[in-house]
Amino acid sequence: MPAVDLFVSPLGRVEGDLDVRVTIEDGHVTSAWTEAAMFRGFEIILQGKDPQAGLIVTPRICGICGGSHLYKACYALDTAWNTHVPPNGTLVRNIAQACETLQSIPRYFYALFAIDLVNKNYASSSMYDEAVRRFAPYVGTSYQPGVVLSNKPVEVYAIFGGQWPHSSFMIPGGVMSAPTLADVTRATAILEHWKDNWLEKHWLGCSVDRWLEIRSWDDMLAWVDENESQHNSDCGFFIRYAQEIGLDKYGVGPGNYLATGTYFEPSRYENPTIDGRNDALIGRSGVYANGEFSEFDHMKVAESVEHAFYQGSGLLHPWVGETNPVDPLEGRKNGKYSWAKAPRYDLGGQYIPLETGPLARRVAAGAPGAADFQDDDPLFMDMLERIGPSVFTRQMARMHEAPKYFRWVMDWLSQIDLHESFYTKPVEAPAGKGFGATEAARGALADWIVLDDGKIENYQVITPTAWNIGPRDADGTLGPMEQALVGAPIADMDDPVELGHVARSFDSCLVCTVHAYDGKSGRELSKFVVNGMV
Amino acid sequence: MSSVLWFQAGACSGNTMSFLNAEEPNVVDLIVDFGLDLIWHPSLGMELGANAQKLFHDCASGARPMDIFVLEGTVIQAPNKSGRMDMFADRPMIEWVKELAEAASIVVAIGDCACWGGIPATAPNPSDSTGLQFHKRERGGFLGPDWRSKSGLPVINIPGCPAHPDWITQILVALATGRAGDIALDDLHRPQTFFKTFTQTGCTRVQFFEYKQSTTSFGEGTRTGCLFYEFGCRGPLTHSPCNRILWNRQSSKTRAGMPCTGCTEPEFPHFDLAPGTVFKTQKVAGTIPAEVPEGTDHLSYMAHAAAARIAAPQWSKEDMFVV
Repeated sequence: MPAVDLFVSPLGRVEGDLDVRVTIEDGHVTSAWTEAAMFRGFEIILQGKDPQAGLIVTPRICGICGGSHLYKACYALDTAWNTHVPPNGTLVRNIAQACETLQSIPRYFYALFAIDLVNKNYASSSMYDEAVRRFAPYVGTSYQPGVVLSNKPVEVYAIFGGQWPHSSFMIPGGVMSAPTLADVTRATAILEHWKDNWLEKHWLGCSVDRWLEIRSWDDMLAWVDENESQHNSDCGFFIRYAQEIGLDKYGVGPGNYLATGTYFEPSRYENPTIDGRNDALIGRSGVYANGEFSEFDHMKVAESVEHAFYQGSGLLHPWVGETNPVDPLEGRKNGKYSWAKAPRYDLGGQYIPLETGPLARRVAAGAPGAADFQDDDPLFMDMLERIGPSVFTRQMARMHEAPKYFRWVMDWLSQIDLHESFYTKPVEAPAGKGFGATEAARGALADWIVLDDGKIENYQVITPTAWNIGPRDADGTLGPMEQALVGAPIADMDDPVELGHVARSFDSCLVCTVHAYDGKSGRELSKFVVNGMV
Repeated sequence: MSSVLWFQAGACSGNTMSFLNAEEPNVVDLIVDFGLDLIWHPSLGMELGANAQKLFHDCASGARPMDIFVLEGTVIQAPNKSGRMDMFADRPMIEWVKELAEAASIVVAIGDCACWGGIPATAPNPSDSTGLQFHKRERGGFLGPDWRSKSGLPVINIPGCPAHPDWITQILVALATGRAGDIALDDLHRPQTFFKTFTQTGCTRVQFFEYKQSTTSFGEGTRTGCLFYEFGCRGPLTHSPCNRILWNRQSSKTRAGMPCTGCTEPEFPHFDLAPGTVFKTQKVAGTIPAEVPEGTDHLSYMAHAAAARIAAPQWSKEDMFVV
């Protein structure tokens, strides 16, 4: 099979945990299959273990989102054990997880996404030389500060949690730590340093406050031309360059979105319950499908393993979910092709795939009916209306969260009452059911736990990557990334960099390889690699 | 400087994420200033697309010299030792690992998974995972107990979940600057310069340990006391420099009030996470720690503890890490 060397990004990768196969006909992608290629079996390991084992095990599912795994694993136990979480405990959890995301945003943008912007396919752009000067790996004038300073927000995580990645300092009832005055002041100073030296200096070219005044697509365009500093910041440059090279034209996806929401208003979630969850969220949850908003209900989530390497059939809610792997060699004979299950959401009796991630969060933030403490931000609903979903829109949604979360973290730091409690010892109920969810940088992340006889009876995790890159379901409906790939125009059949942009715009926590096939002859056109933050 | 090929088998990327937190040198320094030749890395590799697969074959055949082969992630052998639960570049990852380990001058396992199987190898070990040269504490693992790299060294283990970036970068710099001979390994193939000391060495709670004063509760309860007695802290039983070389240049788990989980030792996660073992000290006769600090025994421990409690000054019973 001729494998043509087409991937010219300097950060290449041949193949990895995620394989994406696409068929190309007449210059457009006509079908796509996403294949997760690695299995470790965390859900099986957790069966029969200590109720708190998820606090240690689930962060190790993904070292990029470990703090997010810890956050939702903790709430799964909080709801199962009916704990009391003092406001300080909620604040510290919020701060820590948001700092993980503040780390992820620039690390992802420069190390993984922007390196494709220097692809030789764009050499004819008048802005290409400038793109290379900024974004070239290791030596780019923006790559260096963006990647190197991404370690600053997680210094704050370490102040509260001891280390990042892979602390387990959040526990049912609060947090293990009790910060001192200098912990809080140092955390504040580190974030100010990061804001001054990367967020405002390189990315925005303006103050955080100025950026957050943007409420519409017209506002954003006006912002770009407001002054030299904004026009030439990495953000201003990216907005202009992305439109010039057409990143706003493809990568649409299913157009249906899920946010499980994250960050609790401390006074409204002192006694975490599943039912009270939506109303206590600062970053709102919600489903937006077929043009309508509805409230997120975890009971409507189910997983299909029809095309995944597991035994079973039908759609199972995670509390009764099963994880029984089969040999992929056998599974392929039955049409199975991925280690990711296919999560689906019950919309009026129809189980549909939903896109999750920053764009889904921004959509949820535009829903009507926000309480005064909740994120209420019309920007991305306006952008969807004006320019629609695309690689560009998804990317801007992610970057918009850097100034937004920065402001939130600074606010939460100011709210910590050093003389009040950080933890209430819970009663460890031997039996119960729990649900905990959050928003990792790359989307909705949730645990379902069933306890019995003082140990874990069942434990199921649905990651944002499973939502986005999950395979077809029993009806043959494509997963969200599969859908986003379909229709992508391929300008150069020998170098389909467009596919890389689409795949990367989901920021899946798997490295993925894209195989491109000619739809008529079946010949493999190319095999190239899309980096991921594995 | 040296050439490095970095692979991820059954990995969470935590060691890569940790590596990216490094300073002095940071990743850009290593490559731009120190001239580290990163042949390929899952997130950072400079090599291109389909050429990379050829590159792996060239590295495996010796056509492309490779000084250091770094493996992050557990070696997944299921099903039936076929390795098909972790496919990479059109073949089971275990086949790449075997060939590349043979071809490299030095092989480095980064993180618990590559060292001894890690969390995926916890019972019932559904992916039949193991480490490169150990399975938990047992010698052997994937490559076998007597395996040696071309330079004559066994796999160098840099454990931890994850490994601290300095443990990685300083070893890479040492190997790259001709100091391989200065890297003395312990019985578990860990560099002694990092793993001779205990996690407790340098812990801010060590004075409380000295007088046998316990932390009473999480949260504000961690303003005082030692986490060893009630909360399962493994600081006196674990070898690491976590309190000598701080995490993210700021702190450590024990300083922040979280018990050490012993993640640089092959038994991690300890007791296979059996009910009642997480964040709780295992005891005999209701009060005595089932495991006492390394090198002591229950009798001498109890004698020492009784004397220490009598000697405990008033300040050791009060909050120390206060606002």
